[in-house]
Amino acid sequence: MIRTFMCLLKRELRVLFYTPLAYAVLFFFWLLSGLNFFWLLQQLADGERLTMALQLLFNGPLLTFSLPVVVPLVTMRLIAEERRLGTLEAVLTTPISEIQFVIAKFVSAFIFYLILWLPALIYCGVIHSLCLTQDVVFLDVGVLVASFTGVIVIGLFYNAVGLLMSAFTTNQVVAAIAGFAVLFGSLLLFMLMGYSTQYEVIRNLGQFFSTFTHMLDFSRGVIDSRVVLLYLGNCIWLIYTTIRILEWKRS
Amino acid sequence: MIRVEAISKQFVDVQALHQVSFEVGANEVVGFLGPNGAGKTTLMRMLSGFLMPDEGSIEVAGFDSIMDSQEVKRRIGYLPEYCPLYPEMRVDEFLKYRAVIKGVLGRRIRDRLQTVKMQCGLEQVGRRIIGQLSKGYRQRIGLADALIHEPELLILDEPTVGLDPHQIRQVRSLIKELAKEHTVLISTHIMQEVDAVCERVLVIRSGEVVAANTVDGFRRDASLDRSVIIEIQCEASAFNTLIESVTWIDVVGVDVLTDDWLRLDLSLQEGYSAESVFVWAAESNLALRLLQTNESSLEEAFVAAMDGKAGS
Repeated sequence: MIRTFMCLLKRELRVLFYTPLAYAVLFFFWLLSGLNFFWLLQQLADGERLTMALQLLFNGPLLTFSLPVVVPLVTMRLIAEERRLGTLEAVLTTPISEIQFVIAKFVSAFIFYLILWLPALIYCGVIHSLCLTQDVVFLDVGVLVASFTGVIVIGLFYNAVGLLMSAFTTNQVVAAIAGFAVLFGSLLLFMLMGYSTQYEVIRNLGQFFSTFTHMLDFSRGVIDSRVVLLYLGNCIWLIYTTIRILEWKRS
Repeated sequence: MIRVEAISKQFVDVQALHQVSFEVGANEVVGFLGPNGAGKTTLMRMLSGFLMPDEGSIEVAGFDSIMDSQEVKRRIGYLPEYCPLYPEMRVDEFLKYRAVIKGVLGRRIRDRLQTVKMQCGLEQVGRRIIGQLSKGYRQRIGLADALIHEPELLILDEPTVGLDPHQIRQVRSLIKELAKEHTVLISTHIMQEVDAVCERVLVIRSGEVVAANTVDGFRRDASLDRSVIIEIQCEASAFNTLIESVTWIDVVGVDVLTDDWLRLDLSLQEGYSAESVFVWAAESNLALRLLQTNESSLEEAFVAAMDGKAGS
């Protein structure tokens, strides 16, 4: 079973890196990461505290608002392409289960997502080495752990949304646009609700569901278990729904 | 090998299959014949486990297709219509990948890869990228994929569609070869294909099995063994004299060919066959260069079955 899963995962990763789009996405996201790092260094030079400046690496507006575009571009082909080529029929008539198939797709997209964040990790290493040479401030490990926790749980949720959108259609572009609409729409909606001054209920709801607020908290070193569970729970039901859609289309 | 009991399938407002039942024995080659939209592909997809029936049951090698779907899928090699493949993969890479997900164990993969490549004539293209290969090769890759895990049952949905005549001949001869060791189900709307490779035929029309018979049975029903075309060297007037004394031959049509040979369309009385015509021509000292059963009659028999005018 593990052997079959690894085989499926290996193919998914290969095909991800087979497309020029993957490299374009990597280039675009890494460029934004670089700009954020440049901005961070400028802030440090201006005398900003390291912990405050470090937020830029994970919660810079460039990254926050680019993720709803970047993730659906990666996930759009996952199931839509299989259905367009007709290979879904060939795959689902082998002894593998829909669960194995969908999880392999999801894990491959998530691994790609983690690769997107590699520069942030490298920049942390650079800052850490700078701190050691200057012998003045030390990198707060807690903030780093919390920030990466945020990156991981939000990534799980974003990729699960993209995967689900890809299961709805045979058209990759439609899947990408739908993914973008859901992610960007919810990001904006909850962020604006969180700033509502008139109704406290709306403000509280907005703040509870706002990815922007969550990432802000994570990058300040706050890990709220309710938020972690919210993202993990969402990820699980989205993957489950994707599996059910595949089963439903066969019934 | 296969037992299908009263399966039905409805797609929104279209009844794709209605109360279809049949059985297929081990090592049989059965053809599903029917016009486009008759429900052949839906039936194939159900047999392969891709679609679930709304009603009824499908049993393959004693396993229920819903309760024991994994066991059923292990025993089936399925070539879907239009032969879907991953165009970016190399042939060997694709077949190895398919072998792994079909549960072929590591040490067996290499052996199976060599065997199916040899069976399907793919030895020369193992390193080639699938997307760059011709339709004929891609069809063979699909067949190799269907065979890679040594299934007991092969389900081939329109295996020769889109191929040129030479490729059609190659695929048919490959299927005939495979039929020696596997149970084979073929769906097609090409009648010659059924005649060329199948032992038994199920005729499907509007989601129902309207006729089921062996190819020989269809031939008999259409009196095909008693409808013969011959070409002999003889003058028309001499032939008229000669045929007057033969009571068991009815001459349906006579053509005088450009080289003065006669092409005759004969209908034989019961108890007589093409061999009787051969013996008669030899005894009458007639030079005979063509003796064939009338293929158009088989086509007519199938068409009549599809129209619901015949069957058994």
